[in-house]
Amino acid sequence: MQKYVLLIDHEACWGCMTCEVACKQENKAPDGVKLIYVTEDGPKESAGKLNFLYRVNNCRHCENPFCAEACPVEAISKRDDGIVIMDNETCTGCEACLEACPYHAIAFDKELRISRKCNLCYQRVDYGLIPACADNVCPAHCIYFGDPGEIEKVMAQKRKARNTKSDCITPEQ
Amino acid sequence: MHGFQYANVAREMEAYGYDSVVKSHCRMCHGGCGVFVFVKDGKVARITGDPDCPINHGTLCSKGLASAQLAYHPDRLTYPVKRVGPKGSSKWERISWDEALDTIAARILDYKEKYGAESIVFGYGTGRENEAVIYRIANLLGSPNVLTAGHFCYGPRIATSIITCGTNPIIDYENFPKCIMMWGNNMTISNPDEYKGEPFSVALDAGAKLIVVDPRLTRPAARAHIWLQLRPGTDAALALGMLNVIVNEELYDREFVNNYTHGWDAFVKRVNEYPLERVEEITWVPQEKIREAARLFAATKPAAVQWGVAIEQQINCADNDRLLMFLIGLTGNIDARGGQVLYKTPPIVNVGRFGAHDKLPREQVAKRLGGERFRLAGHFAIINPKTVWDAILEEKPYPVKMLFFISSNPVLTRANACEVYRALEKVEFMAVSDFFLTPTAELADIVLPAATWLEMDYIGDFWKRHGYILPRRKVVQVGECRSDHEMLNDLAHRIGQGEHWWDTFEGGLDYILAPMGITWQEFKQMDYIRGEVKYEKYREKGFSTPTRKFELYSTVLEKMGYDPLPQHREVPESPVSTPELYREYPYILITGARQPGFFHTENRQVPWLRELHREPRVEIHPETAAKEGIKEGDWVIIESPRGKVRQRARLFSGIDPRVVAAQHAWWYPERKDPGHGWDESNINILTDNAYEGCDPAMGATNVRTLLCRIRLEVGR
Repeated sequence: MQKYVLLIDHEACWGCMTCEVACKQENKAPDGVKLIYVTEDGPKESAGKLNFLYRVNNCRHCENPFCAEACPVEAISKRDDGIVIMDNETCTGCEACLEACPYHAIAFDKELRISRKCNLCYQRVDYGLIPACADNVCPAHCIYFGDPGEIEKVMAQKRKARNTKSDCITPEQ
Repeated sequence: MHGFQYANVAREMEAYGYDSVVKSHCRMCHGGCGVFVFVKDGKVARITGDPDCPINHGTLCSKGLASAQLAYHPDRLTYPVKRVGPKGSSKWERISWDEALDTIAARILDYKEKYGAESIVFGYGTGRENEAVIYRIANLLGSPNVLTAGHFCYGPRIATSIITCGTNPIIDYENFPKCIMMWGNNMTISNPDEYKGEPFSVALDAGAKLIVVDPRLTRPAARAHIWLQLRPGTDAALALGMLNVIVNEELYDREFVNNYTHGWDAFVKRVNEYPLERVEEITWVPQEKIREAARLFAATKPAAVQWGVAIEQQINCADNDRLLMFLIGLTGNIDARGGQVLYKTPPIVNVGRFGAHDKLPREQVAKRLGGERFRLAGHFAIINPKTVWDAILEEKPYPVKMLFFISSNPVLTRANACEVYRALEKVEFMAVSDFFLTPTAELADIVLPAATWLEMDYIGDFWKRHGYILPRRKVVQVGECRSDHEMLNDLAHRIGQGEHWWDTFEGGLDYILAPMGITWQEFKQMDYIRGEVKYEKYREKGFSTPTRKFELYSTVLEKMGYDPLPQHREVPESPVSTPELYREYPYILITGARQPGFFHTENRQVPWLRELHREPRVEIHPETAAKEGIKEGDWVIIESPRGKVRQRARLFSGIDPRVVAAQHAWWYPERKDPGHGWDESNINILTDNAYEGCDPAMGATNVRTLLCRIRLEVGR
């Protein structure tokens, strides 16, 4: 039973990278290690028009995480609430998960010589707080955390209200 | 306004064991965003947005979030220093505040006596909300010369809006404009004045139509209904073309035009000099698109123009601003709910009165550098930077002997950087107040440690036009750092201005607030104060202009001897104006597109922000890159008749193949030599500051559009 997800409204994202720094402030990942990051998609032609999007990438907290399967020391586990957690203490830095993750969402921390990924700020969630990147910090209001059904309701309203042409909600899965 | 309201302060305190939390007001850009600053063991431990702040509604940006890394940076200057070796030797010695300020005061008094107060030039950058105190000390001293970005940033909006409609019209985002025309601006990642990116995002998600005018495909341009990709620097022609459509298709607000405008007939004659065939030829934008955009903008109510600094750093600066105001006004959107409003500030001592402009003697006003040439600028106490460099280097029209730069890094931010550097090397005495030993500070005699926003009490957004003031509350003390306000208050006493200042600057804050009958201590307890909001005030009182009308034909400019009607002037250096030079320098170079995380020259030493952009990037169309043998990530030499710099190639099909886009304000604080790489990637090595290329009224330097050639860097 998936309880929590983090969803990105990519149509709304402006590429301001506030989420990256909000994550740094909370998780203190070292220089070069990003648990959430923004990439550029395009510009590319579609329907005779140039399009250009930003994509926000982080751990998808998969239903059946490939990374957990690949980890030889069981450092990655999925909680009942859906959050996939990497245990930094158990990780031996073999990098098997980096190769297993189809979303390039796991980084290697050269200082600690371990893998690092978004743990959905479970330390905040367990305190009744919202993950740092989703805690109403985004000036575009494009990061949503919570119950997938509830988020889908909000997004349906948002899609209806706005007037812009394309509409892509989640990253390419 | 939207469903986001998170930030649970009490639980954050509990979860992380913070000792205290201070509600304050960020100033990592021009300021504006309400924040909570959590403190642990006497240090800033976390910064979050304040959901109740009307400016940001809880959201923040990367800069605000990284403020603690700025405040506690190991390279930060935390005590005053004096230079003990030759200029640029980076040999510094710690001194006391008393020695620093006494030395500066002695120099000021000495130069004033020997060369007149005009030989002392104060300067600030984008305004660390210190403009009021800096003008105050300069005016009381008798110096008409305060060197700011005002000639080509915000100052023109203020000057042109005052002469057109009385004050700067600000978008009424809270009442949801239905059409937004974003012109030469990307407020989603930059630092426009007044509002930030959040309310724009909300307005778009609420269904606003979007028109974007930009030579680059920004994300808003990609999301827009209409993107007008104009030839850089032809904004005035494009606006005149749109106005031509609005006039000739009678899409304007007839009632507004008949009753509230001045100079309609002359204005119509002028726009008819810009038929769409001509405008297409000038701007590269197809006629149909111009017509489509003009119709959409005029037909959708309420509508607004989200403008910014790019249109001001051009030869058409003042006319660009006026033309965009005409688009707002003639479509009935001026002072309209959901349009662009002439907000009223709360009744405080405003920035102009605090600045003591009335205390500057007339004979000193007459000595304002460039005041006779750039008369609109001069009228608003703004000067063009080259006039200062000339006064230092050539002593014309009189010598400038002392510079005092307060949060300003002109070596990076002003055009023709090599000339700036020469002037700073030559000037007899220079004091700087800043966070770090910047390339500019390295040329100083004394450098003072400035406080960040986390270390000061102030009335945030005091100078803005959105009608709010918000308390910025001191959270921590770092080293011996002092706010520019406290520092100048102290210095003022040492140069005999004591009667006009206060024991501590809290007295100055009380003075600003006095007309409202409150003190700083009382304001500090409040969230914010907003001026009275009223729409269409002109119906009762007219506009605050000489004719009491919205001036299409400017009586002020006419009196100053300028064309009272806006016109398109060709870019000083372009395929059209300098075809021979274009053969040698075959690309149009545009500069200054913003990067999230940086604020002009700032933050390149802040780890979380530098990580967002390690190196300067120059955008080149893939076809152009292929022609020049340049690949993604290659170092590229960009060259203009003034010099050359290097930036890394980013292949980007979102610009015209004839155009190249370079970043601005790059230096390398991590390099410990005194120059910190100021001349390596600094795009202002390439820009020109000749007076002929500046806006004739505002003296705005054209730093945005010039000609260049590019080549792959080899053998470095």
